[in-house]
Amino acid sequence: MDILMNGVGLVLNFETLLVILLASLFGIFVGAVPGLTATMAVALLVPLTFYMDTIPAIAAIVTTSAMAIFAGDIPGTYLNIPGTPASAAYVGESHALAKKGRAREALGINLVCSVFGGIFGTLILIVVAQSLAEVALQFSAFEYFWLAVLGLSCSIFISVGSRIKAFLSLLFGILLSTVGLDMMSGAPRFTFGVPDLMAGINFIPVMIGMFALNELMSYYGSKSEKKTISVVDNDSVFHHVPGHMKRYWRNMVRGSSIGTLIGALPGAGADIAAWISYGVGKGRSKEKEKYGTGNIEGIMDASSANNSGISGAWVPALVFGIPGDSITAIVIGVLYMKGMNPGPTIFMDGSGLIYALFIVFILANLMMLPIGYIAIRLSKLFILTPSRILMPVILCFCVVGAFAINNSIVDVWLMLIVGLVAYILAVNDFPMAPAILGLVLGSVVENNFMSAMLRTGGDLTSFFSRPISAGLGIAVILLWCSPFLIKAYRYLQTKFQPSST
Amino acid sequence: MRDLFTGLAFVIAGIATIVTAQQFPTLPSLQYGPSLFPSIVGAGFCLGGALLAANALWNRRRVLAPQTSTEAAALREPSTGKSGLAMLLPPLAIVFYIFASGYLGAMITMAVIMFVLMILRKTVPWVALVASLIVALAIYFIFSHYLLIPLPQGVLLEGRLPWIF
Repeated sequence: MDILMNGVGLVLNFETLLVILLASLFGIFVGAVPGLTATMAVALLVPLTFYMDTIPAIAAIVTTSAMAIFAGDIPGTYLNIPGTPASAAYVGESHALAKKGRAREALGINLVCSVFGGIFGTLILIVVAQSLAEVALQFSAFEYFWLAVLGLSCSIFISVGSRIKAFLSLLFGILLSTVGLDMMSGAPRFTFGVPDLMAGINFIPVMIGMFALNELMSYYGSKSEKKTISVVDNDSVFHHVPGHMKRYWRNMVRGSSIGTLIGALPGAGADIAAWISYGVGKGRSKEKEKYGTGNIEGIMDASSANNSGISGAWVPALVFGIPGDSITAIVIGVLYMKGMNPGPTIFMDGSGLIYALFIVFILANLMMLPIGYIAIRLSKLFILTPSRILMPVILCFCVVGAFAINNSIVDVWLMLIVGLVAYILAVNDFPMAPAILGLVLGSVVENNFMSAMLRTGGDLTSFFSRPISAGLGIAVILLWCSPFLIKAYRYLQTKFQPSST
Repeated sequence: MRDLFTGLAFVIAGIATIVTAQQFPTLPSLQYGPSLFPSIVGAGFCLGGALLAANALWNRRRVLAPQTSTEAAALREPSTGKSGLAMLLPPLAIVFYIFASGYLGAMITMAVIMFVLMILRKTVPWVALVASLIVALAIYFIFSHYLLIPLPQGVLLEGRLPWIF
């Protein structure tokens, strides 16, 4: 009980509450401006959180990401342009509703589903994380090695698009993680004589380059477009919500469950969660023909899923230190920089930190209701913010933010180079999430592999000698064989079908 | 077609990574030295890059074979060079900051960058001027005064800034 009270005390103070409020406004703004993603919001926020205590820092990130994911629906509804990729799955439905004069109704449902999904995901996090952490306490280098490999593998196999590209993107991240002094021998690797690189590549400039500079380059590379809103929005925000909730509560629960599960898988974030639950919702709906014409049902599944995915991603991040998406990858980077080791011990240290974190999640999601309501009423203000003024400002924040971590101009160069590489990869349809996971988990894989080998004298079979380790190892092997297994299954199915009919 | 070149670039990067990794020292007491992981990554680059390039070639052949040349041209990937080199503006601005901030100071450099970028996107000049000056001042104040980041004051303004900065 004392620990819980400690946790409450950590959150309910002026500084943290102010940070949550400011982060909410920032998150809503970034999410609602098309072209700025939730991950970009978090990457830009990190240099500031670096100077905060742990709880306000995490609170800022949690609140910003949750708000940005909801706010992504606002330009989606009004302009048919998703504010963040996580809204892309159901942007057609919301915009179709807006064209019928039901913009606020659609956004009201989006808001309530986002809050529901976020809290649902948090409750799962609270229930599951604690018991998983007890199991994780028994893990050693062998299990952590396999877990990290499993996480990295998931990021390839669950990504949208080409798996080869996801694989190469992942390797790019792992290569970045090997820069610096080697843990075992102390030999410098890929430092090119730059002393600043001896300690390894700093997460933050890389993330700013990957998620902010890359987006800025895409903006300047594209033709400027004039944003005009052609829909009328005189309807009520919450008037229809109770009716829809009563009718479609199953969709909310199903979307939230799928979202949490997919969010918890490493490499798959809110956007994939939304796509999958939209697809599942459509497949199980009794009114399939209404999909695509402005169907509330489709919105409810996917809008619950993307916010629950954000919470779900924290399960592996907190329990194992394995990030569930790019945002938690950034959080893990921040925790490392603050000298904290994300992992099961975070649940046992008695400081109440974990309870504080849970309270922050609930609070951030509850605050989404009033702030989201105001944001819906002020939608046009956000959407019509001129990008031509905003983008140069963001560029300056990128430069100063990258510099601020170590007060070093080398980090600005690093951001620039990574941003250029990320841009080239992004225009060629390479996903970015595997790269960031590779950067965070690359050293986890290598360090655990090396320490396991040191312990067993280089015996590779030791990775299969402990039951959990062997189980995880087999899971990894099955995952890598899955494309071949699926192909073989389909081949056999088509081969035997004619004879059976 | 772009995938072919990207794939080949990855193969070259992979070979370069493996060659560099071979120069890392090894310790006789360790079975697996510091070159192991970079070499695996390099090998992965080669393998993935080769697969990507081979896939691109395979798809190209499949697209070109049964169709007329006009259809095939329509199926070719869209070019990215439409908007010219405008996407290089942000990196150029950063390079300008890196070299100019030592002399001009972070505040003036940021204001110049923002003003130029806003004007290039057809912002009304006085709006661009006011916005870039206010934002540059705000960023400089927040980072140097509140977060105590030693942003370069610049040789030009050294010691001439009011005490508040």
